Amino acid sequence: METSNPLHRRTFLQTTGAGLGAILASRTAPAFAQGTKLNILRWVDFIPACDVELKRQAGDASKALGAEVQFEFINGNDLQPRITAAVQSQAGPDVIMMLHNWPHLYANALVDVTDLADWQGKDQGGYYNQAQAAAHVGKQWLALPHGIVGLQIAYRKSWLNEVGASAFPKTYEDLRQLGMKLKKKGHPIGQTLGHTFGDAPAWCYPLLWNYGGAETDKNGTTALDSKGTVESVKFMQAFWKDACDEGGFAWDDTNNNRAFLAGEISATLNGASIYIAAKRGQDKIKDDKGEPMVRDIDHAPIPAGPAGSVAYHVAFSHAVMKYGKNQKLAKDFLKWLHGKEQFSKWFQVAEGFSVGSTKYWEQHPLWTTIDAPMKIYRQAAASSRMFGYAGPPSAKATEAYSKYVIVDMYAKACQGMKAEDAVKWAAGELKKIYG
Amino acid sequence: MKKPISGGAGSAANVVALPRSGTSAGPAGLTRFLESERLLAAMLLTPTISLLGVFIAYPFVMGVWLSLSDTSVGNIGHFVGLKNFVKAWNDSIFRTAFWNTSFYTFWATIFKLTLGMWLAVLLNRNFRGKRLVRSSMLLPFIVPTVLSTFAWRWMFDPTFSVLNWLLYRGGFITTKLPFLSDGVYGMWCAIVVNTWRGMPFFAITLLAGLQTISSDLHEAASLDGANGWKRFWHVTWPLLKPVTVVVVVFSIIQTFSDFQLIYVLTGGGPANSTHLLATYAYQIGVATGLLGEGAAISLFMLPILFIVVWVQLRYLRRLEGA
Amino acid sequence: MVLERPWKKWVFFYLPLTVFIIGTLFPFYWMLITAIRPDAELYRSWRAATNTPFWTLAPTLEHFRDLMAKTSFPTWLWNTFFIAVVATIISLFCGLLAGYALARLKFPMAGTLGTSIFVTYLVPPTLLFIPLADIIRNFRLGNTPWALILTYPTFLIPFCTWLLMGYFKTIPKELEECARIDGATRFGAMVRIIFPIAVPGILSAGIFAFTLSWNEFIYALIFLSSPEQKTVPVGVVSELIRGDIYFWGQLMAGALLGSIPVAVVYSFFVEYYVTGLTGSVKG
Repeated sequence: METSNPLHRRTFLQTTGAGLGAILASRTAPAFAQGTKLNILRWVDFIPACDVELKRQAGDASKALGAEVQFEFINGNDLQPRITAAVQSQAGPDVIMMLHNWPHLYANALVDVTDLADWQGKDQGGYYNQAQAAAHVGKQWLALPHGIVGLQIAYRKSWLNEVGASAFPKTYEDLRQLGMKLKKKGHPIGQTLGHTFGDAPAWCYPLLWNYGGAETDKNGTTALDSKGTVESVKFMQAFWKDACDEGGFAWDDTNNNRAFLAGEISATLNGASIYIAAKRGQDKIKDDKGEPMVRDIDHAPIPAGPAGSVAYHVAFSHAVMKYGKNQKLAKDFLKWLHGKEQFSKWFQVAEGFSVGSTKYWEQHPLWTTIDAPMKIYRQAAASSRMFGYAGPPSAKATEAYSKYVIVDMYAKACQGMKAEDAVKWAAGELKKIYG
Repeated sequence: MKKPISGGAGSAANVVALPRSGTSAGPAGLTRFLESERLLAAMLLTPTISLLGVFIAYPFVMGVWLSLSDTSVGNIGHFVGLKNFVKAWNDSIFRTAFWNTSFYTFWATIFKLTLGMWLAVLLNRNFRGKRLVRSSMLLPFIVPTVLSTFAWRWMFDPTFSVLNWLLYRGGFITTKLPFLSDGVYGMWCAIVVNTWRGMPFFAITLLAGLQTISSDLHEAASLDGANGWKRFWHVTWPLLKPVTVVVVVFSIIQTFSDFQLIYVLTGGGPANSTHLLATYAYQIGVATGLLGEGAAISLFMLPILFIVVWVQLRYLRRLEGA
Repeated sequence: MVLERPWKKWVFFYLPLTVFIIGTLFPFYWMLITAIRPDAELYRSWRAATNTPFWTLAPTLEHFRDLMAKTSFPTWLWNTFFIAVVATIISLFCGLLAGYALARLKFPMAGTLGTSIFVTYLVPPTLLFIPLADIIRNFRLGNTPWALILTYPTFLIPFCTWLLMGYFKTIPKELEECARIDGATRFGAMVRIIFPIAVPGILSAGIFAFTLSWNEFIYALIFLSSPEQKTVPVGVVSELIRGDIYFWGQLMAGALLGSIPVAVVYSFFVEYYVTGLTGSVKG
C-alpha cells in the first residue's frame, strides 16, 4: 500500500491531466484552471471614475481570460508598505502598480517582462524617457509602463488678474514676486512639503535641478552639496515665507486639492485632478462670485530656474510579482489591459489626468475635443527627468526618495534651518545611502 | 499585585493534609496526574507557552537576527554585526525620534494620570445618570485609535480646522494656528490626542481602585476644597498608589511603542519632526524596505522599556512589602 | 457624610465633570456632524461668512448610504467582529489557565515564567511583523483571518494572564481547600469553584482583549490584502482615503459605525468591567 499509492496517484494525475488538456485544447478560452484568481493592487485613483472603469474592465478581462480578475485600490501612501509585506510574506497581489522608479528598488521580487514591454513599445510608438527610466532595470524591463500623470501648476485666472498678472510667471523668481502679492490678498500659493508620494517630490526635485543642483554626478557619486542646491534652498525659504500657505508642511497629496477647491489658495502644483473635480462637480464647487470654479482654472508648467525648466511627472507601471503563482496569467492580463483597445477606454475616462507612456497617445482624438486648460498635459511627459539625476535612476535613488531626503531638505530649511546646513544634512543622508 | 506565589497564611496548614500525587492512590491515571502541582501547571501553561513561543519568541529571535543583518526587501541579508545600531545612533532623525518618544511618553502619561485621577474621583460619587456618564467617558478608549485620530486630524486640518474657526471667531487669533504643520505644535497635538484617548482607561481603573477603599472614605475623596484635597492626599492616595503604578506601567508600555496615532495624525512629519521610534522604524523598515535597519531601530525600544518597567515594578513591590 | 454647600458642589463637581464630558465627547459630535453634512458644505472656506461648523442646514444620510452600498464596509465590520471574538476567546482560554497556574500552583521557575510572559508585552510590534510575515507564509495563513486570530493573542495573552493572575490572588485559598477536603480533585476545584468566582475578572479581561483586537492596526494592515478580508480600521484608512478629496463624510461615518459595536458591548458590561478590575487591582 505505502509504496503503490504514490504511483497510483501519479498515473491518475497524468491521465486526468492529459484528458483536461484535450478538453481545453478544443476550446478557445485560454487554459487556466477553474476558479483561478488574479489580484491587482493599485492606488486609489485621483479620478474616481478611472477606478470604476477598471472594475468594469476587470469583468471583461475575466471573460476574455477565463479567470477571475479582481482589483484592489489603496491609498497611494500605503503602497510601499504593502509591497514590502507582500514580498516578505511571499503572498499577496499578483500584479502591483509601481510609482516612480520603484521597480529598481524591488528588482529581485519582480518578474522580467521584457517581452511585453518590447511589444508595447513597438505597438504604441515608443516610450517616453520617463517611462523607460522608471521600469527598465539593467537590461530588463521589470514592470510594464502604464500611464504617466503629468503635474502642472493649477491656478485661478481671476486672482492673478486682480494683482496685475495677465499670464502665469515664467521663472521661479517671478512666481515668488507674484505669490507675494497674492498672499497679501489672502490667496497664498499652496505647496506641500510633507511626506507624500506625489506633489512633494514633483515640486522639490525639479526645483533642485532647475537651479543646477543634482543628487549625484554622472558616475553616480553624491554631488548634492553644490552652489546650485544652496541657491535653490534659499529660493524656497523666501518663496515659502513670502508666497506660500504655511500649512503646507502637513499636507499630503490631497490637501492642496481640497484647499484649492475651497478657494483657500490661488495656485498649486498638481495633476489635472483639481480641474477635473471642479468640472465634474460644477454645481457644488463655486468661486467667490458663485460661478462654477472650473471656468476660472488654468494650468501652467513649472517655471524656469537658472539651469532650465525640467519637470517631474509621475510614471506608473504594473509589475508582475515573482511570488505569484499565476505569472503567465498575469502577463496575459497585462497584455490585454495595456493593448490599444482597452487602454484607450481607460485613457478617455482619465481625460488627460493620466497620459500614455508612449508617444502614440499624443495623437489620440481626445486631445482635439478636450478643454483648452487641459491641452498642456498632452506632451507633458516628454519633459521629465527621473530621481537620481545626473546618475542612473538606481535603487539608491528610490531609497533617497522613500526617505524623503530631498523633500525634507527644503522642509527643514523652510522651518528655519540655515540653507547651507539643510543642504549639508541632506548631502550626509545621501552619502549614507550611496555609500 | 505581585504577591509571593505561596498565597495566604491559612494555606500552609492545609497543604500538609492534602493528598500528594504519588503517595495517594487517585481514582484514575489522569486525575492522579493532575494532582501533581507541577504537571498540572505544565499542562495549564502549555497553550500559552506554545502560542507565545511560536508567535513571539521565534519572531523575536528572527527580529534580532534581522537587526544584525543588511536584509532589505526581496534581498537575503548578510551578517553585519552592530552596523545598523551604530548607523541609527548617528542618524539625526533617529535621535529626534528617540527624544520625541521620551517627550511624548512623559507628558502624555503625566496628563493621563492627573486628569484620569481627577475624573475617577468625580465618577466615584453618586449622582444622577452615573452609569450613563461612566460608560460614555469610556468612549474615547474603546473607539479604534485610527478612526478617532482621523476625527482629530480633521479637527486639526490645516485648511478646515474647526478649532481654528473657534479661536478665530472668538477673537483669539487672526491667522490659523499651525496645528499639524509645525513640529512643536504637532507633538503637542499628538500628546493631546493620546491623553484624550488614554485618560478613560486611567479613570476607570483608578475608579476600580477607589471602590476597593472603604466607603466612608468616598465622600472624602470628592476634592471639595482644601480640606478634601488634604484628605485625598493623606488617606486615599497612599491606598491608590499600587494600582496607579500598575496603570502607569501599562500606559508607558503602550505610549512608548505607540504607532497608530502618529501614523494617522502626522505620519512623522513635518520633516520628520514628530516621528516616534515605532513610526520611524516603520518608515525605514517597511516603507523603504530596509528591514535590517528598521529592526535595529525597533530594538532600541526594548532595553529602555525594560528598565523603566523594572524600576516601577520594584517600587511596586516595595510598596506592597511595606 | 460631609455636608457640602451647593456652590461648592457646583464648582468642584458639576463644573469639572461638565468640562470632562464636553472634552471627551466633542470629537464624537464632530464625527457625527461631519458624517451627516453634505459635501458642498464640507469644502467651504473656514473664513466663509456662511460657515456653520457646529450644525448643518441640510443633514443627509448620503455618506452612510454610500459607505454601506459602495464599499465593503459591512464585510469589514463582520471581519473585525469575527477576528476580535475568536482572538479574545483564545486569549482568555490561555490567560485563564496560565493565570491560575501562576497564581495558585507551586512549581519551579514560576516567577521566571510569570516575568517572561509579562516581558513579551514589551516587545515592539514593529520588530515582530516582518518575522511574523515569514511564519504566516510557512503556515499558509496569508490573507486569511487566521493570520490575525493567531497573532493578536501575542499581545492579548500577557495582558489577560496578568489581569487574571491578580484576580485569582484575591480569591481566598480556603475556598479551594474546602472543596478539596470534600473530595474534589485539584482540577475539579479549579474549574468548578474558582473559575465561577472569577467571572467578573474574566469578563473584564475579555472586554479589554476585545477592545484591543478591535483597535489593532499594524498587523491587519500588513497581513491582509484583499478588500473582502480587511478589518474596519484598515479598510477605512486604505480605501476611504480617496486620492482627490478625502471622503471626510464617509470616513467619519465609517468611524462612527466602526465604534458602535464596541460601545454597545461596553454599555452592557461597564459595571462588570469596573468590578472585574476592582478584583484584580485589589490583589
